[in-house]
Amino acid sequence: MNKTSDKSFFTFFMDGLRWTLTGNTIYQVYMGLLFICMTIGFYAYTVQFNQGLSVTGMNNIVSWGLYISNFTFLVGVAAAAVMLILPAYIFRDKDFHKVVIIGEGVAAGALVMCLAFIIVDLGGPLNAWHLMPVIGVFNWPSSILTWDVIVLNGYLLLNLGVPLYILFCHYNNREADERKYRPFVILSIFWAFAIHLTTAFLYEGLPARPFWNNPLLGPRFLASAFAAGPALIAIVLTIIHKWTVFKIETGIINKLRIIIVVAAIINLIMLFSEVFKEFYFPTHHSLSAEYLFFGLDGHNALVPRIWFAISINIIGTLMLALSPRRNAPRVIIPASVLLFTGIWIEKGIGLIVPGLIPSPMGEVTDYIPTWVELWVTAGIFALGIFVVTMLVKSALIIEERYERQKAAVSS
Amino acid sequence: MKTVSEFYKMAMVVMQVVFLFYGCQQGSHDNDVNSRIKNAKTVMESQPETGETTMVLSNTVIAQVKHKDVPFRVETRKDVMERFKCSECHIGKKVHVTKADKVAHGNIKKLHGNKERPLACNTCHMKDERDFLVTEKGVKIDFNHSYQLCGHCHFREKADWVGGAHGKRVSFWAGERVVQNCTECHDPHSPKLTKRWPKTYSLPLSE
Amino acid sequence: MMSSKYIQEEFSDIIDDIFDKKTGRRSFLKGMAGLAAAGSSLTLAGCSNNSPFSEENILRLKEYFKGNFTLMSQEDKNATIKRLERLAKIKDGLDLKISSKGPIPNVLFGFALNVSRCEGFMDCVQACVDENNIDRKTKTQCIRVFEIEHGEMNVQSGNGKYFHEVPVDNHFYMGVQCFQCENAPCIKACPTKATWREDDGIVVVDYNWCIGCRYCQAACPYWGRRFNWNDPYIPAEELTRKQHYLGNRIRPKGTMEKCTFCIQRTRTGRLPACVEICPTGSRVFGNLLDPKSEIRFVLENKKVFRMKEDLGTDPKFWYFVD
Repeated sequence: MNKTSDKSFFTFFMDGLRWTLTGNTIYQVYMGLLFICMTIGFYAYTVQFNQGLSVTGMNNIVSWGLYISNFTFLVGVAAAAVMLILPAYIFRDKDFHKVVIIGEGVAAGALVMCLAFIIVDLGGPLNAWHLMPVIGVFNWPSSILTWDVIVLNGYLLLNLGVPLYILFCHYNNREADERKYRPFVILSIFWAFAIHLTTAFLYEGLPARPFWNNPLLGPRFLASAFAAGPALIAIVLTIIHKWTVFKIETGIINKLRIIIVVAAIINLIMLFSEVFKEFYFPTHHSLSAEYLFFGLDGHNALVPRIWFAISINIIGTLMLALSPRRNAPRVIIPASVLLFTGIWIEKGIGLIVPGLIPSPMGEVTDYIPTWVELWVTAGIFALGIFVVTMLVKSALIIEERYERQKAAVSS
Repeated sequence: MKTVSEFYKMAMVVMQVVFLFYGCQQGSHDNDVNSRIKNAKTVMESQPETGETTMVLSNTVIAQVKHKDVPFRVETRKDVMERFKCSECHIGKKVHVTKADKVAHGNIKKLHGNKERPLACNTCHMKDERDFLVTEKGVKIDFNHSYQLCGHCHFREKADWVGGAHGKRVSFWAGERVVQNCTECHDPHSPKLTKRWPKTYSLPLSE
Repeated sequence: MMSSKYIQEEFSDIIDDIFDKKTGRRSFLKGMAGLAAAGSSLTLAGCSNNSPFSEENILRLKEYFKGNFTLMSQEDKNATIKRLERLAKIKDGLDLKISSKGPIPNVLFGFALNVSRCEGFMDCVQACVDENNIDRKTKTQCIRVFEIEHGEMNVQSGNGKYFHEVPVDNHFYMGVQCFQCENAPCIKACPTKATWREDDGIVVVDYNWCIGCRYCQAACPYWGRRFNWNDPYIPAEELTRKQHYLGNRIRPKGTMEKCTFCIQRTRTGRLPACVEICPTGSRVFGNLLDPKSEIRFVLENKKVFRMKEDLGTDPKFWYFVD
């Protein structure tokens, strides 16, 4: 920043935006689809904003639905960036160091989606300032939701701040000072665990909901996140490798595979432990699990979904762990897709909705999302993908230029 | 024992500091409802100025019983009875009515007492002085204080009624206590409440 | 049309608030109000089709930037009530009377329900809806009555959707509502302190401060809270006009509501609507701190129990049997 030759942050941002919006035809179609989704999602949200949340499938029994389900899952995806940061910065793994910025981009995108899902879930989004410290009333430390506000926004700042600093330095062709950003990297490692544990505590701390009031919830959140997040990153890396000029070494994807396998197996063990507890000696507290896995009082909207999710979860894990060609992307990528989808269903809808069914008074109802909810959700996903694309694409272009520059100078 | 409980309290304080949560205060049971109730000994002698408690005390009489030495009032009965005073017809001699069904008490369905030994009219109504009720032991009872008669058999219900666990207080929880007479809810001749449809229904939440 | 003089007055009022009066975060908020008023095209004013500087929009704007009820001075409370009453007059031509009456000293409200007397007539449910201006469109109800077969003592096995002649033989009826817990999980959960327990024990919601996250609804083990999924609709002729700020005033959409023991009635000495209407006298209400009250008689002389006592929520609502 001291050098007069430095380009301003504004041009840095505009360049990023320009790179994001330009590309070949396929890329333009991809961007177009994202914008269409975002536009329809925005329209659906205006409908919800004007008429109230009654246009959603939620009711006084199932008071949280698709939005909070996706929020919960995406917090995990965001937290999973730590699985790249940890080896890259602490163990100084060269391979991971190259892709860590992509992981951070995915995390930032996931966090943007998380915050968007919270905003659309609010009954009074215009009152959201009541939640801000200083100008509102912040019920800290009593409410776990306030902890979540702190950790999510803090993690977003960390995951935007550090990469932006590094990229901005590289954009101006100088080395980033590691002493400056290293403390924040270390902090973000702890923070990653914090966001996911805090989000788990959001549910774990409610004795009203026996399905959630379970000390295994936090650890299981972490395990499933460290499987689903790296799975997503593996998919993103492969897409970059295949569709862009940037090449990713297969070694990285292999290392990711090991992380995914370990986390997925721990996740399945914990799932088995939960299922055992619920069904070995079923009590009144097992009704939610019964609803989820077998249906209750003739209501069984989630039953096929959960069995599907668990099946693909197991298949994905087995493929990654035991397949003879498990090192080949041909196996890793489909397995990652299966695992990601499985965990998405299981930890999203499969965790939030049955926690609310049956109601504390024992009443059972099904939850079916409406078109408004589906489109708002699609719009937010498009927004998140757009943010990830913008961050990752700009990062890759800047990094590539910087490397070229460095090579030119040294030769 | 004391050291143990002190240790426990210390541990709770440490837990509170560690977790920073209010919830741990639950550990010390000084603030729960039941201990607050036990510690509350002062009677609200003068009821609070609540603005709307100026209620009409007409059509009430001071009850012949007290609850914990506090008198209360009962809604009167005579002014709402259809044919009071009874002595307008019943004046010590037989009354001959041709259309008994309409003019007299033919509409009364008597479903009181057990099947083997149903109550007769004269079990409760005084034969000699028709403007009064009478107990089995021959004690004369005013219609406004008919709870005294009911309480003869239903003494448990009466005790609950005096204390407030049975029956209904009228309009105000504060101010002078006014309660409904037994007959407000129970038809004395057929005291069981009749079956009926509920006033409303709750939405089936799944359809 | 509003005269420009009126607008000027209103704005100088806002500006005064910003610079003159006790500084603090309230004035910061009002500062924001002033800025927002000047800058934005008043999206908050929403659907109203009149000029952005109409009286209604200025009132709405001031309402939007008001603080949490617990932090308001008595003047603030009076001012917001005046605004709410005026808004109701402008918008719907309603003459409301909104109170902000505080708790009576040395009073702790308690409730008891006689499960052996209740016959399931549901008069209480209807009276509650009528008294508390609850939305008719979604048929929201704050009391729910369960029909339970003899041999069980658990609402979870009961039927809350019955509609037939009652009482049915071999069944009893158990009404549930907000139990006004002393150690309420909902209060602990609320991220903005929009819900709290008053000194007389009633758990209330500041409808304008609630952001509608519904975390309290998830935290309540008694299903005691209801959400306004849309703008509540109440026919004007059925509207209860005597209202309380924390009680039965018309809720905005997207906020939480709950049973307040009819705070608008009980703080003036009257009984809650459900108690007053109950055709069987199953409901007992009173001051727990008065040893001679009826509720104390029930607690001392009857076998009482509270629902889900194992959760440690310490409700002020007891069930008892004859």
